[in-house]
Amino acid sequence: MTALPRRIIKETQRLMQEPVPGISAVPDESNARYFHVIVTGPEDSPFEGGLFKLELFLPEDYPMSAPKVRFITKIYHPNIDRLGRICLDILKDKWSPALQIRTVLLSIQALLSAPNPDDPLANDVAELWKVNEAEAIRNAKEWTRRYAMDN
Amino acid sequence: MSGEEFESDMEYSDDDCCYEDYYNIEEDCDAEQLDPSKTDPEYFLYECLTVEEVERLLNESVEILSNTLQITPSLAKVLLHAHEWAIQDIIVKYRGDSCKLLVMSKIKPPHPPESVASRHLRHQVCPVCVASQSSDMFSSLACGHLFCKDCWTMHFEVQITQGISTGIGCMAQECEVLAPEDFVLTLLSRPSTRDKYQQFAFRDYVKSHPQLRFCPGPNCQVVIRAKEPWAKRAICNLCRTAFCFRCGTDYHAPTDCATIKKWLTKCADDSETANYISAHTKDVSLSDVNDCPRCHICIEKNGGCNHMQCYNCKHDFCWMCLGDWKSHGSEYYECSRYKENPSIAHESVHAQAREALKKYLHYYERWENHSKSLKLEEQTLQKIKTRINKKVMNASGTWIDWQYLLDAASLLAKCRYTLQYTYPYAYYMEPGPRKELFEYQQAQLEIEIENLSWKIERAETTDRGDLQNQMDIAEKRRATLLKDFLEV
Repeated sequence: MTALPRRIIKETQRLMQEPVPGISAVPDESNARYFHVIVTGPEDSPFEGGLFKLELFLPEDYPMSAPKVRFITKIYHPNIDRLGRICLDILKDKWSPALQIRTVLLSIQALLSAPNPDDPLANDVAELWKVNEAEAIRNAKEWTRRYAMDN
Repeated sequence: MSGEEFESDMEYSDDDCCYEDYYNIEEDCDAEQLDPSKTDPEYFLYECLTVEEVERLLNESVEILSNTLQITPSLAKVLLHAHEWAIQDIIVKYRGDSCKLLVMSKIKPPHPPESVASRHLRHQVCPVCVASQSSDMFSSLACGHLFCKDCWTMHFEVQITQGISTGIGCMAQECEVLAPEDFVLTLLSRPSTRDKYQQFAFRDYVKSHPQLRFCPGPNCQVVIRAKEPWAKRAICNLCRTAFCFRCGTDYHAPTDCATIKKWLTKCADDSETANYISAHTKDVSLSDVNDCPRCHICIEKNGGCNHMQCYNCKHDFCWMCLGDWKSHGSEYYECSRYKENPSIAHESVHAQAREALKKYLHYYERWENHSKSLKLEEQTLQKIKTRINKKVMNASGTWIDWQYLLDAASLLAKCRYTLQYTYPYAYYMEPGPRKELFEYQQAQLEIEIENLSWKIERAETTDRGDLQNQMDIAEKRRATLLKDFLEV
């Protein structure tokens, strides 16, 4: 395996030294491109109180290509599907090599605070979010309680 | 071929005029009638170009624009690509408000870059690779976002492997400024990547050019050029693929591009339903085998003609509706028309759905059947060639005497092709007098095509009069229908 680029080393160091509030990202012991991530559910969101596990992988051509990120913890959210895949523009066509792991995780946290049912990945969830937001939020809270607490 | 030559090709050629004057002075109206652009509804002027010819054509536009506006050819390319190669349009806009045009075309940022103090430092840190390097190792686009050259190169390489070329932009977050060709090429050193970049850029340029289309034939490099992006038939001179110039799919007159797309999508979505129903109902004949409606002997269809004659009981019937062929006489030919239930609006939702499916199947079966007939008639053409061979060997007629049969077969294919594409058109038509006229003409065309097919399959002599007559009638019906209903 080729040596780890300076950019990844720098980012990892900074993530450890000045962690983002509510987010922890720790590189895997055997693979420095694979991060174990935990995002706490933002306050005043249906995900409040939950701890959400994610995995983040930096591909060979990072930062020219976006990191690959996926929720491992089940979550009821219109932009996240059953497999934990995330619909977020900066992970796709709006990726810029100037973005960082830190900014990506911050955007994911922001997505939890502001779901966007008009650009859905999980269609059934998005549909409910649009026609009956109260029920959708109830579901999201229930899922948070069931899957994202006491583990 | 230069633009000017092309121009003169499009006009009625001046040189030819002198010739014509010599032969038919004062016969202007005759010449008028012969002008195919007025008499033939499918007439379409286009030319087939090689990659080199297209490059020359594009470069001419680039040169004109860069000379007129005093900008680099590379910037001219970005402008042309962003504005569908409309030189005059770009010049007017540039002279009106060049800054606005450059921002719109993503050459300049909407706000002028801030002069960053670090620009003047000897060393700086690249935000992408976080390495500290001397300032001459950095470059930026018009937006002023500085990155080291190695990172730019890597960025380009990754983008190009994803098939992106003219769309490569600045690496900064939310910056939309595009990297012009010269910026990319000075930083790309690997020849294979440079080649790929140029190939992809060429593809993008052709696709953004309203007068150019890639030939859709497999692995064909030809580019077709036409002045007007009409929904007319273009035929590649290299691979012979025929396609609609506007939408690039199979030629579909008299149906328009949007309708044929809708129809093909519907057929793809519903093909299972249609196949299931035709396999499980008796009155539908999408299979190649049917029973004779009179003596019930098994008959396999091995020719294109839908006028069938049972080899056992000599009963004449229509393959499509299995009705007596006598009822398919010229004036009250009804087989192509779908008779809608006039009181359907008052029926139950269930009945309406059944009716909608019935209507779709009616058109789909005929569409599919003519497509099959076209294939069977291709086989007939092979048989005709063998038959001619035999005849000539037996000294009954010469090659030249039999040529007419080949002409007849190719005309038949042309007519049946149009007939096939009348069915989607009719399916989507609103009921009314226009639809009645269309269906009348469609029926007329269909009966003459079946007559022609019948006669071709049975042509045994070099007596061509009858067949020639049938050919003229069929083609006339086809032309009439297209003239009345083909819109471009």
